[in-house]
Amino acid sequence: MDDPTAIRRCRAGDKESFRYLVERYEAEAIGHAIAILGTREDARDAVQESFISAYQALPRFDLNRRFYPWFYVILRNCCYKMAAARKNREISLSDELMILAPIAELQREETMLLERSVLDLKDEDRELITLRHLDGLSYEELAERLGVPLGTIMSRLYYARKSLREKLIRRGFTRLC
Amino acid sequence: MQKATCETIRIAAMAIADGQRAEMTEMTSHRIEEHLADCATCRLEVDQLRAVNALMNMQQRQPQNERLWASIEMSLPEAPMAKNESPRSHLFKLLGLFLIGYKLFEMIPDRDLGLLFKLIPILFIVAAFAYLKVNPFRINTELALEGREEFDD
Repeated sequence: MDDPTAIRRCRAGDKESFRYLVERYEAEAIGHAIAILGTREDARDAVQESFISAYQALPRFDLNRRFYPWFYVILRNCCYKMAAARKNREISLSDELMILAPIAELQREETMLLERSVLDLKDEDRELITLRHLDGLSYEELAERLGVPLGTIMSRLYYARKSLREKLIRRGFTRLC
Repeated sequence: MQKATCETIRIAAMAIADGQRAEMTEMTSHRIEEHLADCATCRLEVDQLRAVNALMNMQQRQPQNERLWASIEMSLPEAPMAKNESPRSHLFKLLGLFLIGYKLFEMIPDRDLGLLFKLIPILFIVAAFAYLKVNPFRINTELALEGREEFDD
């Protein structure tokens, strides 16, 4: 099955076809929601809520577009609404890596330090940095996904990286000191 | 003025480091390189940010294994909503009709129904914002971000 077929069947009330979409995109969506919200529990809630909203909105989906970028807008709105509602929420700094995967080039402690610095960023900065570096989205794709002009992406990325650098240095990340 | 120029050069240099075309930054690669060669502060800044870039480019996203279908399925309605149907659409149609009716009524000459009557549309609009839970005075995030460079450093 492909996405447009699944969406057509969902519109006709076939919930099993929606299962195909959920299972295809849930891992990616959870990763993106964690990158905005900074906690796994909130991310899970946001993704569930977003899939339910997306199901209800499927009749308005343009079948010429790709599903995930459209869904991402719903997910993103849901995450920021949740973040605003939990304004004083604390991002738990556990020993578990939530955003970054361990890689051979860095020791686990360094990856943990980097993840904590990423988690320390503002929600918007964290979202932008992870979409750019972990998903490899181009400036054009970022502008489309976030609904802002290219110039804004350019300056926001600069400030987000600057902020990340300061947090890394403050945490004593030796590769940058 | 000098600070703004440096900031603009740094932003452009990082966009080029990301593979963007120099034209997009509205300045030439030559001008950026020339500035970086002359300005030690910018050179250091850009070098450090390139190092952050290189570090982040090595990273991969943590794979996620959660399965959500069971809990999503329980909350799904029987069928998706019909096209263009929104739960608020009827309310907005009624509000629109009311405001048109109000305007027509207001146009009848020689009627002075007092200040309260004139305030009715404003009260309805305030009520609509309250219902939508939207703050019309909220500062736009994008504007806040654009102004941020003034406060950095």
